[in-house]
Amino acid sequence: MKDEPPVLRAVGLRKRFRRLTAVDGVNLSITAGERVALVGPNGAGKTTTLMSCLGAVTPDAGTVELLGRSTPRDRRAALARVGFAAGYLPLPPRMRVLEYLMMYARLYGTADPRAQAEVGLRRYGVERLARRWGAELSSGQRTVVGIVKATMHTPALLVLDEPTASLDPDVALRVRANILQQCQQEGTALLVTSHNMTEIERLAQRVVFLAAGRVQVDGPVDGIAAQLGSSTLEEVYLHLRESDQKATSARSGEPR
Amino acid sequence: MIVELPHIGRSTAPRRISAVMIRHGYATIRTPHRFFDFGIWPVVDTIFYSSIAKYAQGAGASASTRATLLVAAGIVMWHVVYQSQLAVSTGFFEEVNARQLPSLLATPLRPVEWLAGAALQGLVKVAIGVSAVSLTAAVLYHFNVTTTGVAMLPVMALLLLTGWALALLVIGVVMFLGSGTEMLTFGLLFVLLPLSGAFYSTSALPAACRPISAVLPTTYTFRAARAVAGGDPSPWSQIGIAAVGTGALIVAVVAFAVVALHTFQRRGFISRYL
Repeated sequence: MKDEPPVLRAVGLRKRFRRLTAVDGVNLSITAGERVALVGPNGAGKTTTLMSCLGAVTPDAGTVELLGRSTPRDRRAALARVGFAAGYLPLPPRMRVLEYLMMYARLYGTADPRAQAEVGLRRYGVERLARRWGAELSSGQRTVVGIVKATMHTPALLVLDEPTASLDPDVALRVRANILQQCQQEGTALLVTSHNMTEIERLAQRVVFLAAGRVQVDGPVDGIAAQLGSSTLEEVYLHLRESDQKATSARSGEPR
Repeated sequence: MIVELPHIGRSTAPRRISAVMIRHGYATIRTPHRFFDFGIWPVVDTIFYSSIAKYAQGAGASASTRATLLVAAGIVMWHVVYQSQLAVSTGFFEEVNARQLPSLLATPLRPVEWLAGAALQGLVKVAIGVSAVSLTAAVLYHFNVTTTGVAMLPVMALLLLTGWALALLVIGVVMFLGSGTEMLTFGLLFVLLPLSGAFYSTSALPAACRPISAVLPTTYTFRAARAVAGGDPSPWSQIGIAAVGTGALIVAVVAFAVVALHTFQRRGFISRYL
């Protein structure tokens, strides 16, 4: 896998919002089919990193290459094979689920949007939601529909921001299993953010810990805890978070 | 493994444009109260302004029959700009309010494709609004837009383009300043309405307002519209000036919108909609 060109290569990403440095020299590389989790406390720069990788935010410094295309110049071509969903984003209120999915299928240039949307719904076992209104869905159902939207065009890279944050454990389990199955069967690379360490252990092969906009640790999910003298990922997370808080206190005057 | 990318170009652009059209078509159909904006409000406007003109006729003002016709014609013209602007800018606010911008920005949809989809879908609203106004003006005030001649077509086209350009201006401003500035959608139009002389010659404006009026491209479009509505047999020079002015407006507004989008992405304003 290491000889393959990356589906995502971000080098030296940096983004400031007024006096706050949200992302500070982040390097991130994901190879085809690789599943990577971006982890960190609130305000660590995870979402800004994702948005920079997708081209929705222009970084102040650094470069992003998405599926071999440099962004922002060629980002539209690359985005045809990228899927994005965030657990916190709503569905448009005046559209039925099937209509919403067909709209995104058309945006991805699909010739048969209805078939693609229906296959996507079936894959996640939520065909019954097809005729429901976006505003009627529970947060869990909304999240699943968002993931269907992000995966139905068989992306080469799937970007998920806190995908199962609002799901019941059983639904989250099924969603994770489906994401994993899709990634394994179709060679889809995954970049996911989450605060749920169990989820990361199940979904990701590699974990990147971010704090104060910087990569603190980058390594395989299996074994990184032991390498850092911890027994679980959660312990690593708590340890790094504590270090980050101390560092922040030391940088008095610099806002978080 | 080299990832094969589908061709993202003209061949799939119609699908993306149709996606935007259908999405906003649903939003329009399923929000019946919006019919007030493009079906009822134009009729109210026509009755209101044309009745004022007719009242002046009753009071004995000279040349007031012609004034009534010009006001009725002005209302028809005005609603081409108003409805086309409203259709596109409210489409953008629909995306903002439904928090769809992050998802849309993560697709291959180009800004110009979104704009084309929203504008084409908005043509339905323009058609309904202008038909309502035209019918009211014809039945109640005896101004028949269909008898104004072929010169009305380029004038209507210029007014349509003006409305879309103003929508782009409003969208650009909202991208800079964030939601909450949507009131500009209506505010900008009602600043332009008197200054462009939609219902009267700009010579009727106070002297202090005339220099502002003179630099507004809409002034020349409405001047051409009045010439056509007033029965001028060869208003082509007026239409030519209006076309140049509208072209200049479009170039300026597109440049502004491009800068606004880049600023939106550079300053990370997308975080307002997450």
